[in-house]
This record gives sequence, structure tokens and C-alpha cells, in this order.
Amino acid sequence: MIAIIGLLIGVVIGLVLQPDVPIGLEPYLPIAVVAALDAVFGALRAFLDGLFDDKVFVVSFISNVFIAALIVFLGDKLGVGAQLSTGVIVVLGIRIFANVAAIRRHIFHA
Amino acid sequence: MGLLPYLNTHALDEDYALAAERRTASPEGTGSARRRRFGRRSAVVLAVFALLAMTAAVQTSRASDSEESGRRALIEQVKVRRATVAEQRTAIEALVQENRRLENDLLRSTGAARAVLDQRDLLRLRSGTSVATGPGVEVVVDDALAAEDDRNKVLDSDLQKLVNGLWRAGAEAISINGERLTVLSAIRHAGSAITVNYTSLSRPYRILAIGDPATLPRRFAATTSGQAWLDLQGEVGLLFSMRTRDFLRLPAADLPTLRHVVRSDPAASKEEGDS
Repeated sequence: MIAIIGLLIGVVIGLVLQPDVPIGLEPYLPIAVVAALDAVFGALRAFLDGLFDDKVFVVSFISNVFIAALIVFLGDKLGVGAQLSTGVIVVLGIRIFANVAAIRRHIFHA
Repeated sequence: MGLLPYLNTHALDEDYALAAERRTASPEGTGSARRRRFGRRSAVVLAVFALLAMTAAVQTSRASDSEESGRRALIEQVKVRRATVAEQRTAIEALVQENRRLENDLLRSTGAARAVLDQRDLLRLRSGTSVATGPGVEVVVDDALAAEDDRNKVLDSDLQKLVNGLWRAGAEAISINGERLTVLSAIRHAGSAITVNYTSLSRPYRILAIGDPATLPRRFAATTSGQAWLDLQGEVGLLFSMRTRDFLRLPAADLPTLRHVVRSDPAASKEEGDS
């Protein structure tokens, strides 16, 4: 319940304030969102598995976002930003799919 | 283990499993039980996540919006500028015509100028640089039916003969397929086409000649060119027809500008001719 309230609060704040992202951080935002999505789905799966841990979720979320942004930053500096972003998206995408599959098994028992 | 299977099996962070293990290992369970549910910290993190996602979405939609509106503004500007250009063009045209009219009025206001203008008009008419109208004949010539080689096709020399004959028969202005003949006109072959005034013509050839419709055909038939064309008709089957017309309108020729001819006054040229 408190999780859904948190989500809603975030959505409302985002819609109301419509914060401006500094130009320098703009390229990292989409990849950070994907990384965060991975952490959220991982947490949901762990919750359904009965393995959920508050602290692990917070740490994994922050580290995921940070590492994703760092990889893109490094890639930009090395001139392979687009390729590295693609790599990160692919890996995170596979993880998200695997986690969603597990969640689906929990919910539908299929 | 390959990368993809590894990713699939380790989709869930191992930390969750480790934390769960540690929990079961340690006996006191009160503190850890609370950590198993979504707590306040998780809610904050989720709020941050939602905020991030919303910001990214808003950013993207705003960017596409501004792009779209920018494009629309550009299109609008292009339209406005085009309309302005068209307007200015019509204005220019109107001004040019007005200028010409005023110039003519000015020149016509004095008697001497009027004579000069009349002379100019006459010269333009004679040299073929102004539209000429009047009665005359229309001649249409074409290759022989089922023409295969040059023998039974209309050649530049045939057209030259025809035009020469018409001049001799008293034609005062001639055009071929809308190309007015002038003092600088040549009728010649260029490739497979006949060109007049550097414009390629396509058959059939329609020659308009202004002259006395009553005498022109007869006098043409009497010239050597007329005889030659009679032969061409009979021997190789070229098509030829001549009709009188009460009213013909010959277009003005579009002459190239003279670049090498130097204008000189008559007295000077006479001296030069004498020497």
C-alpha cells in the first residue's frame, strides 16, 4: 500500500512541478529510468518470492541508476556512448523480461 | 556459462537471497520482519523512480512538441515569404508596364519623337522582333508517308527553298512552327532535327507567310523553288499543302543580343567604306 502511495506521490510531483533536467544530465535520464525500472521489477519479484528486503531494494535502486549513468558517461567520454547505452539497455531489458516472467508465474501460477 | 543464460538466471539480484539467508541465520526476527515489507524507504525510492520516469516522459514530449511547433512556424514563414515574393513580382510587372507606358507617352508627346517611335515600330516589324498580323498563306509540309531515309524526309535545304520561294513570291513576314524568321535566322540541320532560331522543330512543319493571298500561291508556283517543291512532291512523295488565310498572327522572334556588332553613325561607316 505504502509502495503504491509512494509511486502516486512521485507521479503527481512529476506532473505538477515538471522539473527541468539540466542539459548536462539529459542524456543519462532515459538510461537511469530503465535501470530504475529493472530495480523495481527485481524488488517486486523478490517480494513475491518472499525474499524482499527493504535495504537491498534501496541500495540496488541507487546503485543501478548510478552505474547506468556512469557507464553512459564513460561511453560518452570514450566516444562510444551510443553503443554502450545500447548494451546497457539490452542487458537491463533481458533482466526486466526475466523478472516479469517470474512475477507472472507468481500471479497466474502458470 | 554464456552471457544470455547467465543474465536469465541472475535476473534477480543475488543480494536478496543473501539478505534472506542472513535473516534466517540470525535468531532475532523482530527487526528483520519489518524489512521484509515495503517500508517508508522503499516508498521514497519508488516516488523517486516515478518522478524520474515522469520527468523523462515530460522532457521527451516537450522536446517533440517544440520540434513540431518549430517546423510549423517555419512552414508558416515560408508561406508568408512566398506570398510576399509573388506580390512583389506582380508589383514589378505592373511597374514595368507602367514605365513602358509612361516612356511611350513621354516620347509621343513631341513630334520628332513620335516619328522615331513609328520608325522603330516599323523596323521591329520588318526585322521580325514584333508581332505581325495580316492575311497570307499557310503552308504545311511533312515527310513522305512511311519515310525511311533522308531521301523522302523534309530536309533543311527543302525548307530553305520553300522559304526563299515565299520571299520571292512577295511574302513580307514568315514563321516556321512559331519561329519567326529574322535577319539572324538560320534554317539548318542539327542532329536529326531542323532548327530555326536555335530551336529544334518537329514535323509537320507549318509555315505562315504574310502577303497578298491572291497572288502569293501563284507567284510561288512560278519560282524555281516552287518548281523544286513540285518535283519533291511528285518524286519522293513529300507532303505539301498551301491554303490562303484571311488573318494570320506571326509571333515576335526572341533574338540573341548582339555582342560584337558595334553601332556606328552612318557618316563614319561611309568613310570607312570609301577608304
